[in-house]
Amino acid sequence: MRITVPGRRFDPRQHPWWVALAAVLAVIGTWVATGTTPVALVFLWQWTPALLWGLLTNIKISVLAMALGTIAGLVVGALSLSPLRFLRMLTRWYVQFFRNAPVLVLIYFTTYVFPFELHIVKWTVPFPDWIKVVLGLALPTSAVVAEIFRGAIQSIPSAQWEAAQSLAFRRTEIFRLIVLPQCLRRMLPPWMNLYASITMSTALASLVGAHDVVDTAQIASNTVARTDFTVLVYFTLLGVFFAYCYPIARATRALERRHARY
Amino acid sequence: MSDPGLLAQAVAAIKPLGLNYAFLLDLGERQAFLRGLVVTLELCLLTIPCSLAAGVAMAAALTSRRGWLALPARAFVEVTRNTPTLVQLYCAFLVLNMLITRQLEGVGGNPLTPFVWVVIVVAIHKGAFHAEALRAGIEAVPQVTLEAARSLGFSQRQLLWRVELPLAVRFALPSLVNNLVDLVKMTAVASAIAVGDVTYESIMIWTQRDNVLELLLLILLYFGVLTWLVSRAGSWLEGRLRMPGYGQ
Repeated sequence: MRITVPGRRFDPRQHPWWVALAAVLAVIGTWVATGTTPVALVFLWQWTPALLWGLLTNIKISVLAMALGTIAGLVVGALSLSPLRFLRMLTRWYVQFFRNAPVLVLIYFTTYVFPFELHIVKWTVPFPDWIKVVLGLALPTSAVVAEIFRGAIQSIPSAQWEAAQSLAFRRTEIFRLIVLPQCLRRMLPPWMNLYASITMSTALASLVGAHDVVDTAQIASNTVARTDFTVLVYFTLLGVFFAYCYPIARATRALERRHARY
Repeated sequence: MSDPGLLAQAVAAIKPLGLNYAFLLDLGERQAFLRGLVVTLELCLLTIPCSLAAGVAMAAALTSRRGWLALPARAFVEVTRNTPTLVQLYCAFLVLNMLITRQLEGVGGNPLTPFVWVVIVVAIHKGAFHAEALRAGIEAVPQVTLEAARSLGFSQRQLLWRVELPLAVRFALPSLVNNLVDLVKMTAVASAIAVGDVTYESIMIWTQRDNVLELLLLILLYFGVLTWLVSRAGSWLEGRLRMPGYGQ
């Protein structure tokens, strides 16, 4: 926790990230001023817009997959709590199947099973690779969201259900007014965790031909054909994913701490 | 493999369902697929103990009181957990492997094959997750128990080995088994660097025969069996290690 006493001057140990940023900017400033930037970094600077465009593809895939998967997962989760035993069994098989399947295999499945282009009436619409990856990632997402939803609902103490029933609330009213508002708060940290994990899985899109950041890095590495640039660009990939996923992980942990109850 | 006549009959029986398993009747492709199954099994069997060892080492570094050990371990665990396995694999194989090969060119070549790199990268990646689970387990051991043990004259080493670790492992066991199931699924990325696992061999077969769905069904079945075995083993271990009075 940061302790700030008014009147105290800036203590570098309490702001490590700002100090690091200042150091990096200072180094870059000297390089630009004296013209002695290492060649690999010049190439990296030239390739940065392409890499960021690839990262945009990854983010697009992850956001869409998460949206589709969450909607489908909430439906499946609601069905898994149904009083009908057949529905419960069906949803349990669905969840078990998609949680035990490797994500890469599911992505190959949606990429190869769906057609190359769609023929609707008289128009031919191309079916891009990245949308197939979105569908492939939405499947395990829906299974995990179903489990998160079911776990959150089952974590509400039954005492609340019984008290609401004794106050003559109907089942739908109990869900809407009492159970769901509490559940949404409890579902948020594992859901954010899932989003970080899906974002990292979008890196697999490069294996099925979608032009994401990993694919762009491979193209860059082959085009420039310098060892030091290859090393630099692959470690930059690590840095890019880290810069995107680490803040999400930190925010998730902060949320968990704030809402920790039992 | 089984009697070719029987296999041909089975393939012919499934054909009306629209599934073309003719590749099983070709000797070369059938043996390649079986080799892929064996390689995946080898990957899992090697990576599981390596990841557990890496996890214990990282957990020890994370919970150590020495700052010079705990901080770099924390940084390493955070980087490993927040970056994709595929990118880590590329960094290790395309970058580190290339540098090592360059260095060892005159001295007799690079002994590390892609298979070894997959084992190393996946073991370290999952080891970071194991380390977090073990750290949570260690921190969940009640201080009261440790104080009681200390008051009974346990030395530091006895405290760790006989009190802290058994309890920590029991608390962390469900997370560890979950991580191991994830590890089995993660070995599929080995196909990205042309290690001959079941996914890679299937890709080779379906580019020739265009029977993607059939092969994916077989792969899903195989991974389903492997993950089921791992979680059964985990349940058995949890049952064996169960202690009365600890809620599970």
